Amino acid sequence: MVDTEHRQRSPFFTSRALAIRARRFGEVARDVLRNPTTTLGLVIIVTLIGLALLAPILTEPNVPDAYQMPRDWGALNLPPGSPDHLLGTTSTGGDVLYGVLWGARTSLQMSVIVVGITMVVGTMMGSIAGFIGGKVDEIIMRFVDVLLAIPELIFALAIAAVLGPSFANIIFALTVVFWVKYARIIRGQIIHVKNNEYVDSARVIGDSQFNIYLKDVLPNSVTPVIVQATLDMGNIVLVGATLSFIGLAEAGLAEWGVLVSEGQAGISAGRWWASTIPGAMVFLWALAFNLFGDGLRDVLDPRTEGR
Amino acid sequence: MTVSTREPPAAKTRSLVASVDDLRIHFDTKAGVLHAVDGVSFDIFDGEILGLVGETGCGKSVTARSFLRLIPTPPGNYAGGRIDFWTKEARHSGGAPIDLLTVSDSEMRSMRGNRIAMIFQDPGKALNPALSIREQVVEVFYQHRSEELLDGWSGGAPRAIRRAASQRSGKFEWLAFKVPPLRSHSRRLNRRIDEMVGDALAETQIANPRKVMASYPHELSGGMKQRVMIAQALACNPDLLIADEPTTALDVTIQARIMELIRELQQSHQTSVLYISHDLSLVRRISDRIAVMYAGRIAEIGQTQEIFHDPRHPYTRGLLAAIPSLAHKRGELAAIEGTVPELIDPPSSCRFSTRCSFATEICGQLDPALDARPGIHAVACHAYTSPQELGVRPDQLPRLDRTVL
Repeated sequence: MVDTEHRQRSPFFTSRALAIRARRFGEVARDVLRNPTTTLGLVIIVTLIGLALLAPILTEPNVPDAYQMPRDWGALNLPPGSPDHLLGTTSTGGDVLYGVLWGARTSLQMSVIVVGITMVVGTMMGSIAGFIGGKVDEIIMRFVDVLLAIPELIFALAIAAVLGPSFANIIFALTVVFWVKYARIIRGQIIHVKNNEYVDSARVIGDSQFNIYLKDVLPNSVTPVIVQATLDMGNIVLVGATLSFIGLAEAGLAEWGVLVSEGQAGISAGRWWASTIPGAMVFLWALAFNLFGDGLRDVLDPRTEGR
Repeated sequence: MTVSTREPPAAKTRSLVASVDDLRIHFDTKAGVLHAVDGVSFDIFDGEILGLVGETGCGKSVTARSFLRLIPTPPGNYAGGRIDFWTKEARHSGGAPIDLLTVSDSEMRSMRGNRIAMIFQDPGKALNPALSIREQVVEVFYQHRSEELLDGWSGGAPRAIRRAASQRSGKFEWLAFKVPPLRSHSRRLNRRIDEMVGDALAETQIANPRKVMASYPHELSGGMKQRVMIAQALACNPDLLIADEPTTALDVTIQARIMELIRELQQSHQTSVLYISHDLSLVRRISDRIAVMYAGRIAEIGQTQEIFHDPRHPYTRGLLAAIPSLAHKRGELAAIEGTVPELIDPPSSCRFSTRCSFATEICGQLDPALDARPGIHAVACHAYTSPQELGVRPDQLPRLDRTVL
């Protein structure tokens, strides 16, 4: 498959078509924003990411480790609206606002790292399987099938539990679990796309296999991967928060799942804020990416038209 | 079974571009081995259009695709025969042909688009929707004409530009093209590409090549897309153009224009064309010779005039009779009775015998051979074989009623 000699495409591909591509991107963006729920999703996403990025400015970072909740032992269980702690504090004096903002940051980190790695790995594995086919396809896809047969959450839980409680291990566990979906999606797309006549017609003019993959097959196959990646940005935070809720992240980490778990004991005592507010953030995050991802799918994939 | 009795084709008065000899292409299916192409032999002469006609599934597309080794293996396999191909140089110097079925992959790639080009049935599917027309047409130049792209550089182009012209730039090299000193060179190459792609498009009578170049396939009409395909196919002046039902997906009005265009360009480029179609009346308009295929075999081959005025094979006759004409009354459409036989493990009988109204016992037992001498009007039917050769009595052979048409 690999033809190293011809693997790179011309510079003109990148530079010249960029303007046209930008125009097309504009068209897609306009179509996406025409739908109000998608726009709502996008607005929430932008807000949450904005909060995540601005966290060090909006709150005073905890000095030894900014991702650890600062503890104000003199202010336990304050309700929301308290002057120094706008969203209240937890039973251990953690500032809920701090947790929400820095939690957005951990969530952003988690989802970007996991989606980035899984998308690349999954696309590579799926591409190899779909484009080469035959035995290679058989081996890769049976492996993928095995991984897919295990429920997402339980599989991630098992891996994270074996590795011990840490945020990095959660990210690792999620990566192991989530790449298979991409492999399966891209493989199906590639098998569909590679039988297109334009692939034959590229072959007919003497193009190399690798070039055909790069130029004809991959660009026409990635759309569902992009949609899936958007949806996964939400799912990963959901699953990640679940894992840290169970206690697989470091204790005291500024992470929504950890906060929910910290505050849950107080719910029966009427101190709802410590777990409900971070919980709502998880909900908002997942909801926003799902709204946006669905809207994106409607625009990018004409087959699902007609809502 | 057809036995290849031919001598290897030597230099002749009319030079050959390609010679297919006893080509066999099989497909492994769950039900058995499908003999899609089963002993096909024909020649393509220099500068001629050979029409390859047959109904769906008769193996005509498989035959054509095998010229460029486009048959996926597996499930397909080239079970026998050869396709000899003479490049222009070989024809002029009397050199040896290349067997397209056995050349190395890299050699095959250097042939594709360069010596042998192909246009497909549905131009809507044959263009990559994600690339502009310019990006797709220039591809063929990158592959085969990078020296021409580099024309006009006095003292030679910089190495980076030379790499770019054959699509071998490094990953971030394009950044260097954005700044001096390479920027001017890169612009020059871009202009050269515009020029060459523009010329190729203009040749197919595209009115506004510059505009078409910048558009994407979905912005063009079907006829326009087919013109782009033709432009790309003929850009490198190939020796042989394979046209696989190039007008089937187009409107009738566009059809005529595209066919005219192929004819014109074929003449100006002195290219040979293998024109595949299921429509005999369409092929008549364009081809010099016609080969009629049936169930993986050539049934009859000859000059277009011969096929139309003196059709010999019962199948050819049936096809001609099935062409609707104004003389027919409404509702009267002739058809050939029966269906095409299974091509999985076919018996050694005449493939057409099950549908032939003239068939005799011998037709169900022996497969008629096709006289494969190049250029003659040949037919694979027992009615035209000599009884002595088969060792049977004359009355055992079918007798065709010559007044059928």
